[in-house]
Amino acid sequence: MAVDTAMPILVVDDYKTMIRIIRNLLKQLGFNDVDEATDGAEALQKLRSKQYGLVISDWNMEPMTGYELLKHVRSDDGLSQTPFIMVTAESKTENVIAAKKAGVNNYIVKPFPAATLKAKIDAVFGV
Amino acid sequence: MSKTESRADQVSRVLQEIGSETSDDISVREILSLADTMAQSMGGLYRAIEASIHREFSEIASYIEAMKADIAGLQANDLKETHLPTAGRELDAVVEATEAATNSIMECAEAIMCADASDPDAYKATVDEQVMKIFEACSFQDITGQRISKVVETLNMVDARVSRFAARFSVADAEGPASDDEAARAARRKEQMLDGPRTDGINQDAVDDLFSAA
Repeated sequence: MAVDTAMPILVVDDYKTMIRIIRNLLKQLGFNDVDEATDGAEALQKLRSKQYGLVISDWNMEPMTGYELLKHVRSDDGLSQTPFIMVTAESKTENVIAAKKAGVNNYIVKPFPAATLKAKIDAVFGV
Repeated sequence: MSKTESRADQVSRVLQEIGSETSDDISVREILSLADTMAQSMGGLYRAIEASIHREFSEIASYIEAMKADIAGLQANDLKETHLPTAGRELDAVVEATEAATNSIMECAEAIMCADASDPDAYKATVDEQVMKIFEACSFQDITGQRISKVVETLNMVDARVSRFAARFSVADAEGPASDDEAARAARRKEQMLDGPRTDGINQDAVDDLFSAA
């Protein structure tokens, strides 16, 4: 079964350039319904106003980090099942373990090739 | 009172007599002599203390003068008003240049992706034009390299001056953060595990191993 490319995806990163890169990669993978947010707080607002099939978030953002966003999402009854991929330069073992414990579905270390993004999205959706 | 008696002996003897039952025998002359002896003794003491204090204050003054010279050697105002702001502006310019170059390159890539390939000649012309723009955009690396060299030069200058000062006065680092603001930022970074890119970070394969582990 293929991943539903029509699902809305929310990309969260405080660097517009990174959002643009991920948006283009997603477009290449067939995902065209992509929204963006530049920090966790803005992302949380968007998540509460629209149902997204996937969140792809950076970790290092202020005022709300991607890690805080993940914990908010997992503790919110309406959002707790939303698939969540962390795409970040935070590449310490402790970060990966903490994100896993907090309920992240997958974790991509920046910089990354398009194949890695595709592989992780497929893995999240069991493809 | 014998002239060969030392001042200390004189004082001791007179004090003993005052304390004894024969204190009535003490003459006014002896008391005045005692007072004179005491005054001379105290005078000597004060002169000795004065000399000692003067010497110590002179040493402190010399130390302060040397410290002022070394603080002046830091040229803190020069760093604060010239070098550090310039370094900050250089880094801002690097960020702007890399962002602009990245956007230019992405625009070219997007143009190629969207180009109509049904007309091979027109498609090739589009690709050639966009590739040339990509080459031009990549020239940012030379300029940003020069800007970063200036920042490294400033950091080396700060390092040299501060190291010289610390070595001169054998300054030991104070424990803990330098300010409440710095402490709050450090606590926030620790709580949120914010380290940014690391040279000793783990790669994607190691991350995948952690995820596949139970």
